[in-house]
Amino acid sequence: MNGEGNTSEDQAAFSTEGKNLKTVSRRTFIQGLSAIGVGSIFFSSGAAKQAKAQNAPTYVDGLSTEQLTAMYTDMLKIRLWETKIKDLGLKGGFRGVAHLYVGEEAIAVGVCSALRRDDYIASTHRGHGHLIAKGGDLNLMLAEITHKATGYCKGYGGSLHITDMSLGILGMNGIVGASHLFGAGAAYGIKVKGTNQVVVSFGGDGSIQGSFFTSAANSASTYKLPWISIIENNQFQIWVRCSDVYGIKDLARRADGYGIEGRVVDGNDVLAVYDVAKYAVEKARGGGGPTIIECKTYRWYDHYGFSGSQIGRDGAFGLGYRSDRELRDWMAKDPIPRFRRFLVNEKVLTEELADEIVAEVRQAVDDAAAFAKAQPVPKPEDGLSNVFAEGAVPLHKS
Amino acid sequence: MPKSMSYAILEAIQGEMQRDKLLTLLYEYQRPVARWGGRTINLEAEFGRWRARFSPIDENWIVGGAMGMSMIGVRAIAHIPSMTTLIPYELMFNHAGKLRHMTGGQAAFPMILWADMQGRAPFQAGQHADAGLESCYARLAGLKVVIPSNPYDAKGLMISAIRDVDPVVFCQYSVPSSGPDVPDEPYTVPIGQAAIRTEGKDITIIGYAPQTIEIDKAVKQLKERGISAEFIDPRTLAPLEQVMEAIIESVKKTGKLLTSDDGSYSFCNCTEIIARVAEAVPGVRLKRLAFPDAPPPGAPEMINYMRVSAADIVAAAEKMVRG
Repeated sequence: MNGEGNTSEDQAAFSTEGKNLKTVSRRTFIQGLSAIGVGSIFFSSGAAKQAKAQNAPTYVDGLSTEQLTAMYTDMLKIRLWETKIKDLGLKGGFRGVAHLYVGEEAIAVGVCSALRRDDYIASTHRGHGHLIAKGGDLNLMLAEITHKATGYCKGYGGSLHITDMSLGILGMNGIVGASHLFGAGAAYGIKVKGTNQVVVSFGGDGSIQGSFFTSAANSASTYKLPWISIIENNQFQIWVRCSDVYGIKDLARRADGYGIEGRVVDGNDVLAVYDVAKYAVEKARGGGGPTIIECKTYRWYDHYGFSGSQIGRDGAFGLGYRSDRELRDWMAKDPIPRFRRFLVNEKVLTEELADEIVAEVRQAVDDAAAFAKAQPVPKPEDGLSNVFAEGAVPLHKS
Repeated sequence: MPKSMSYAILEAIQGEMQRDKLLTLLYEYQRPVARWGGRTINLEAEFGRWRARFSPIDENWIVGGAMGMSMIGVRAIAHIPSMTTLIPYELMFNHAGKLRHMTGGQAAFPMILWADMQGRAPFQAGQHADAGLESCYARLAGLKVVIPSNPYDAKGLMISAIRDVDPVVFCQYSVPSSGPDVPDEPYTVPIGQAAIRTEGKDITIIGYAPQTIEIDKAVKQLKERGISAEFIDPRTLAPLEQVMEAIIESVKKTGKLLTSDDGSYSFCNCTEIIARVAEAVPGVRLKRLAFPDAPPPGAPEMINYMRVSAADIVAAAEKMVRG
């Protein structure tokens, strides 16, 4: 579920509605949250100081059992769907490429759970998780990343460009940093339209190095745009360690220079991400302007493809630019079992129900793979269409 | 006094902003104000600052912001000044013309890059007297590129660009007012439609924007010397298919094609026109006049020597027809 009134058919299949689960009280939640260390660091723009002084509200206590269950389900969908891609890729003959998001699921789900269906997101080359969290269809996604005619983009785009415009996804984008710029532009468009939608731009830790981010952040600040920039700091820009190319440790510190409130949050804690995202979304919707949120996390797989990974085993080991120990340390902070422990401890789910959800998602992912396999490939001449809205371009072979 | 290029363009945008209540213009230092015959257009005053936005000196914001707006159905015009023509190139190269294709037709950028162009003027030098950059955009798949040579075409092409659902690069060179009078009401000049400026039978001459001034003079001088030149202004540089139909038909008649370009010799836009004519009309005589492959010098003695003039066009045409 992605916020109010936003249950896709796909997600409805996993809904535990009617299973008579206990409603979690605010008190229980707050206790639970402090136990798992929910919280975020502010940076010192005026707005942040004010928010801190007023002891900014904790939004997680407003989450219903259904929403929490949907969040857990969505995290599993991302994990298991991408793990399937990895396994298919390692088998050979895979018709496509992939930049895997595994390990970072709490960010996509935490953020998108704070959005309405008609809010927008601008995604990245590592965007499968964003699409799933915003309600993307697993079948159409798998068909697309294997370039089938019936995939989301009819086979034209593949992994890097999977989009469902009907879900407010402004395209996945293979050019780092562009998501910030187009997202801020869309946020300007919202002001022109006069609606109360918001835009989230996702980007990695490398995405704020270039000028697109500066262009986006400066204009978002100047015009108080309803824009939230989510910096997914997974520690690596391709194969370059973040600390080798930044003179600062917390990337959200950059926000202060633009006059934007900056926040740092544990990106492996879905409730902490949700809490700060919901705060930023409500602020933006109410005319309070942009927020830049850095989510600290770790990429379990290689920048691209499946190096160092095996069928049936999580994570990519033996990669030259990082140690296996570092990966194991981060895998121990896996956001999914962590959230499951919390849900079971708080009696939102039982172990049995959680297992049931895992089995349902696993089945849905297997079904997606079967669906994609059975789909037709595009007609070769379709490559000449969709260049312009009308007609096809000439082939120039005769 | 006919309407100026800039008045005609603002009149086009004004009419479209009245028609499309979301259409928005981003620009940096050139405020959208123009005067003609006692009338004033002031888009900031008429439509407010959200729809006529004075922006930072940041072409990536002006163009990228307009692109983001256009993705959610807010059509936008990004106006950038002449020395920055290629700063947003990455956005136009990697995004504007590719999104529709990459997403299987789901998403697009219905925006206009209104790029001021410079032209080969003396006393500027290097970065402020360049020309021919329209060919950089015309070579990118998925973009439409238009280049008006007079105020009438400018207004009609701007309205077509705004109403087009594909991204359009509108290249504005500074040219003296000429051509038909500009009606007050909206009208379109269709993208893809070349204009036959002068009909003739001995040679086909192609050129656009400031070169049309030189070609006009040359055509008159050639007529005095008994040579009937057909002058075609392509007006659209991409997609070129429909424009080429008109040019190829002309060259089939005359058997000779002379092009005149302010862009540098190598890869100037007329190079593409010549290549297509060479493929389509075997045995035709071809000649390309262009600025040398050198940066533009500031001193008038140098730049005026290097730029193609009416005399150069006359000499080349005479040689092709008589030689």
